[in-house]
Amino acid sequence: DSHIQYERVGADVTMKCGSMDWDAAVTWMANGTDIDDSHLNGSYLILKNVDLTQSGQYFCYEGSSWHLKYQTILRVGVPPKEPVLMCRSNNYPKGFYCSWHLPSPTYIPNTFNISVIHGTREMVCEKDVFPKNRCHIRYLQLFSTVKYKVTLTVTNALGKNSTSLTFDEFAIVKPDPPESVVAKPVPNNPRRLEVSWQNPSSWPDPESFPLKFFLRYRPLILDQWQHVELSDGTSHTITDAYAGKEYIIQVAAKDNDIGTWSDWSVAVHATPWTEEPKHLTTEVQITETTSTSTSSFMPPPTTKICDKGAGVGSGAVAVCWTAGLVLAAYGVLFI
Amino acid sequence: GDSWGIFAFLCAALCNLPAVPALNGTEELGAGQSIQKTYDLTRYLEHQLRTLAGTYLNYLGPPFNEPDFNPPRLARAERVPSATVDLDLWRGLTDNARLAANYRAYSRLLCYLRGLDGQVGAVELRHRLGHFCSSLQGLVLSIAGVMSSLGYPLPAGPAGPPLPPGSSAAPNDFLKKMDDFWLLKELQTWLWRSAKDFNRLKKKVPPAVVTLRLETRGF
Repeated sequence: DSHIQYERVGADVTMKCGSMDWDAAVTWMANGTDIDDSHLNGSYLILKNVDLTQSGQYFCYEGSSWHLKYQTILRVGVPPKEPVLMCRSNNYPKGFYCSWHLPSPTYIPNTFNISVIHGTREMVCEKDVFPKNRCHIRYLQLFSTVKYKVTLTVTNALGKNSTSLTFDEFAIVKPDPPESVVAKPVPNNPRRLEVSWQNPSSWPDPESFPLKFFLRYRPLILDQWQHVELSDGTSHTITDAYAGKEYIIQVAAKDNDIGTWSDWSVAVHATPWTEEPKHLTTEVQITETTSTSTSSFMPPPTTKICDKGAGVGSGAVAVCWTAGLVLAAYGVLFI
Repeated sequence: GDSWGIFAFLCAALCNLPAVPALNGTEELGAGQSIQKTYDLTRYLEHQLRTLAGTYLNYLGPPFNEPDFNPPRLARAERVPSATVDLDLWRGLTDNARLAANYRAYSRLLCYLRGLDGQVGAVELRHRLGHFCSSLQGLVLSIAGVMSSLGYPLPAGPAGPPLPPGSSAAPNDFLKKMDDFWLLKELQTWLWRSAKDFNRLKKKVPPAVVTLRLETRGF
């Protein structure tokens, strides 16, 4: 009958061949290869300063008959280091989840035990099927002044270790990043990008627990981000994009009043609308107008307006005319 | 010892007087705007309280000013109105009940805070406390304004029976400090809760005045 034997890395291991006497003649085998006599002390197998490579199946056979007298599985490992525990509420006010991991492997099986204490009450943290090493709790009460204490204990055959977290209900609120971030150019607006997104689907009640958002954007060629904080709405139009430059855009979310900002959303790329390039040789007269720019060391942006007098081709003229009409319409609205 | 008991008695007596009627000014604004103002006030107070609580807990000294301090809740702390509420119950509160709970809680919390004010030696801390109490009074009045503009009757006074004199006297200095600790904690939690309460109310009562947002165009 086989059994499993757990030993620490660096330990000295002595294996006895079952009930055989010390002076019996035996042969030991490990993972299909003979073990030579230098490791034997009588019929005992001595493994000094074991390492991970020595894990495996060990067999002991009686000398002449080759009867299998003993077999064992050796697993070399280490006791667990202090685990890393994290708790977070991404679905406030429904509850929170905790997830954990070991900072380094133990090479042998570990069991995790988690306890959650709220004041005098012990709560049950239901283990998730996936991902493993995660459990969730539903809040029974809201707006509690009493802290939650979460203790995680990890145990294996060679030892145990534990860690604890103590926190207020509000301190661990951190939504998931916004979803479905979309950035689109705005036709006939070379300096605009329209960004829209959705509340993270894990946030259960945005009506009563509204989120606010933080948008950051920069052209790929620059390192410095520009930021906009938005207290409501799930869209925003960037109006100071540099013409023709590809932008990278991200959004983060936070409960309006409590907790911390989410991680940044997946980045989206977009380039503002640019005029169609002209293929024909006749030059189109382009009027350049300089609009005011806020930073003095950046090149002034230019807005190209199609001169409606240019006759290049019917398609190009149509574009020019449309641009002109749109501009005229805007002008009328905002004078 | 004794002074706390006397104070508690006075507090109970004063707090059971009829509530001050809402200022005329708030009745002219739509209910929606009042709710927004009240919401903004809770955020302002919450911000103020962070500094005030830090200073006050330092004044109390360790272990009260330690971030991990997590004492068990003693029965005597039950006097301070608690923001803690069952989730479904909180969701199902009527607008009236929601507002009334806030009104009662802050009226009582204000009373207790004024008590702190009288006992603190440090001038700087007294100033801060005094300023905070004024702002908190503003919040109580603001809530009263919302209630009256929605046609709800103001609660007669803080909920609960008046405290019998002497019963609330802390038997020793440490327990007195515990009282102060829990008072500040509940106040902080109430301010967080109120932000959520007023968010819910905002959604249900449309603002009377629509603000036009003029966006500057790049032309």
